[in-house]
Amino acid sequence: MRPSRAQGLGLRAWPTLSALSLKPLALVVFLTASACSSPPPAEVSSSVFTPAHRTTGEAARDFFAIRPTAVQPIPFPHKTHLEKKAVCADCHESADKGPIAGIPSVKTCMICHSQIATDKPLIKQVTGYSEKGIEIPWQRVYGFTREAHVRFNHAPHIRASVDCATCHGDLAKQTVAERVVNHSMGFCVNCHKQKSASNDCLTCHF
Amino acid sequence: MDRRNFIKLTAITGTSATLASCGNPEHQLIRFVPDEDLVPGVAEWKPSVCPMCAAGCGINVRVMEADVETTRSGQAGVVKMAVAKKLEGNAKDAISRGGLCARGQASIQITYHPDRLTHPLKRTGARGTGAFKEITWDEAIGELTGQLDALAASRDQKSLAFLTRPHRGRRTALAGEFLKAFGAPAPIAYELFADDVLRRANGISFGHEQLPTIDFARSRFAISFGADFLGTWNSPVAQSVSYAAMRQGRPGVRGGFVQVESRMSLTGASADEWVPVKPGTEGVLALGLAHVILANKLRPADAGRAGAAIDGWSSGLPDYTPARVEQLTGVTAKTIERLARTLVEQQPAVAFVAGPPLAQTNGLFHALAVNALNQLLGNVGQPGGTGFTAGSTKDEGRSLKSDTLASAKALLLDGANPVYDAPKAWKVRDSLAAIPFIASFGSFIDDTSAHADLILPDHSFLESWVDSAPESGSMDAVPTSAGPVMKPLYQTRATPDVLIEVAAKLKTPVALPWKTAEDVAKSAPAAASAQSAISNLQSALKYVAPAFDGEASQYPFYFLPYASLQFGDGSSAHLPWLQEMPDPLTSAMWSSWVEINPQTAERLQLAQGDLVDITSSQGTLRAPVMLFPGIAPDMVAMPVGQGHDTFTRYASGRGANPIAILAPATEPETGTLAWAATRVKITRAGDGDGRLIMFGGEMREHPHEHETR
Repeated sequence: MRPSRAQGLGLRAWPTLSALSLKPLALVVFLTASACSSPPPAEVSSSVFTPAHRTTGEAARDFFAIRPTAVQPIPFPHKTHLEKKAVCADCHESADKGPIAGIPSVKTCMICHSQIATDKPLIKQVTGYSEKGIEIPWQRVYGFTREAHVRFNHAPHIRASVDCATCHGDLAKQTVAERVVNHSMGFCVNCHKQKSASNDCLTCHF
Repeated sequence: MDRRNFIKLTAITGTSATLASCGNPEHQLIRFVPDEDLVPGVAEWKPSVCPMCAAGCGINVRVMEADVETTRSGQAGVVKMAVAKKLEGNAKDAISRGGLCARGQASIQITYHPDRLTHPLKRTGARGTGAFKEITWDEAIGELTGQLDALAASRDQKSLAFLTRPHRGRRTALAGEFLKAFGAPAPIAYELFADDVLRRANGISFGHEQLPTIDFARSRFAISFGADFLGTWNSPVAQSVSYAAMRQGRPGVRGGFVQVESRMSLTGASADEWVPVKPGTEGVLALGLAHVILANKLRPADAGRAGAAIDGWSSGLPDYTPARVEQLTGVTAKTIERLARTLVEQQPAVAFVAGPPLAQTNGLFHALAVNALNQLLGNVGQPGGTGFTAGSTKDEGRSLKSDTLASAKALLLDGANPVYDAPKAWKVRDSLAAIPFIASFGSFIDDTSAHADLILPDHSFLESWVDSAPESGSMDAVPTSAGPVMKPLYQTRATPDVLIEVAAKLKTPVALPWKTAEDVAKSAPAAASAQSAISNLQSALKYVAPAFDGEASQYPFYFLPYASLQFGDGSSAHLPWLQEMPDPLTSAMWSSWVEINPQTAERLQLAQGDLVDITSSQGTLRAPVMLFPGIAPDMVAMPVGQGHDTFTRYASGRGANPIAILAPATEPETGTLAWAATRVKITRAGDGDGRLIMFGGEMREHPHEHETR
């Protein structure tokens, strides 16, 4: 069972799981981000109950929407690229085309980096991925939990001339993208109210 | 397919990570660079043609990017591909008009089937044990070329046989060219529910040896003799759309519809009036109607060639008086008179026949009788009547008989499954055992391809160039070709490309007029037109009682294996959506059953779900009882489609195959199998054991409610 997929498909397991769990109620230990870097612990199993999460800690983290800071395989510097006059849509190509802005394929990197800065060690890493035909395993920075039932669509926001920095922070000041803006529902609704965009539930939750 | 894999394939997150990966790339799958430029989350609709039957419905396929599990250079990972997600009828298509039947909808499961063959295979164990090993395409093509070279070296080219289904378009034309240039006989085209008797009759009566196109939309009255035209016969989607227009498309006008048959089909359930008739006498009823029309001079008497094919027509059909017809068919004289007058009053009226009546030893007679009735009604080639699609070409395959494979030394299988859908009496399985080399192009291991030595799996139709030139469904010819809507998921190759490559690699290369599968699909047929000089009968036909296999004293029941809505002739039993689809008349699913009249069941002390042995002169099979009011008391019926020995995890070893006990009776003029001409006996074999699964409840009525005391 691969750890990166299909979590949260079943019932919210945490309250009942904690009752079944043999571990003490020292949940604080499990709530820290770094617990993820070790291999996943033994699975909780039961003949009648299929838990949504494998450990109490994972369940708790999911419940409180605690996500660890993304660790990127290569420290991509947005600052450097924006200084060179790249714009967001050069790489996040689908932002104005559909629901998902998209993290660029290594093919997109190679458009420039087959020529530019080819001697730099980080670029050599990028080229390495490209030659092996493997995508750089970028880690997601922004997103909603499954339970939020939010389906966000970038394209209408781009069409409405919402600046990327409004929701994603000023990338000209960041190297690796960080979660500097908190996408709470209030954050979205405030802007929707200001701009007289729809505040119907089904606009986003469907 | 388990849920996790399904969700993988329909993922719309579009980015390389999910929230729950803990921010650590070590626990993630490798993601390969895609071969296509994809816009995540945005779907495209691409045209194609559904291949599940010969109707050739045009479809639109919704294509969107998804994560596909794949292995590259031995490494497992995922890659984004634009893949098919949903099929719908194409509103602009002249055949489907935006509709798509259940089998067409389910056909997307072929592409994603967990048991679909993904690589070429070579047999390692004994034939039929399922022991295969993966080989490369170079090895597979080398093996096939080598076998054909060996045949050529020993001057045995005539021993190469190619077995396919009829009406597969340009693909069969390619096979035909290949075989001709190689020196082998024409492809063998076999399917159980062939309509060849009807085609022959149309050739005799009207000079068109093809299936008719019924213009329901402009008709005021339709009488169908056994044709399940809303369910399984001919071009059901086009016919359903047209039928809907007949019933509700014209303000103030609702066309009437009568169904004449011995077992209520799904189509029969829609009829205004359902007329049960003795099996094998349908044409007699048609001539009874014609007799009333002629006797009362309700229409001009001349029915041209169609009438001339019926003995006694010119003298007013003296042998088909209502009294005599009542005797033969069981339909009352009053009903015959009334229906005949309705046919004349509600103009245009159209009649047609297909299915069980033509699967009798006297099937040709019924078809000619109905043709004569149509000619009498004046609807042939007229609005609201029966017509023929322009420009249709004849299928040039050889037919499969019990000795067709006897001299074969090499057999190429292309989608036909005769071990399953030919009668056991033809001993197809034994014939295969005697053939030294068998190769299959199919995407699945089925009852027939389980005996193959070499498998060269084709793409699924969504990954292929497809073409169709339907012989029915629209008055205008609609030849169509469409390209693949997605790239291949696996290491499969288009069979036309494989044949072209083999042709070029033979020691004595075979010259073909096409270079790629695309060329083949886009090419126009040069074959003989279906519009032919009339094949004349020796003499006009008179009614001869149908011959049934088995004495009535020993085998008291007529046995009707009918094409099922879900599986047709069994070729789509491997698709779980169709297994899951409750049968519209019984709500049964995932099962086989035998339909018995409730009064008969009461007499034999059979309850719903009880197991019975159904025995013909050819063998026995066991199935649960389904109480079914819409069947004659001396007939039992079973849907065709289950009972595969081998056909993926969803259909293997499930249910019983009614074809297995069919007697090899044939219609004498065409030589086609008369699959409704077997008689059986029923014996109780035990209480129900839960193998009959139903979505709904049982029959609402109880036999007691029909008793008259």
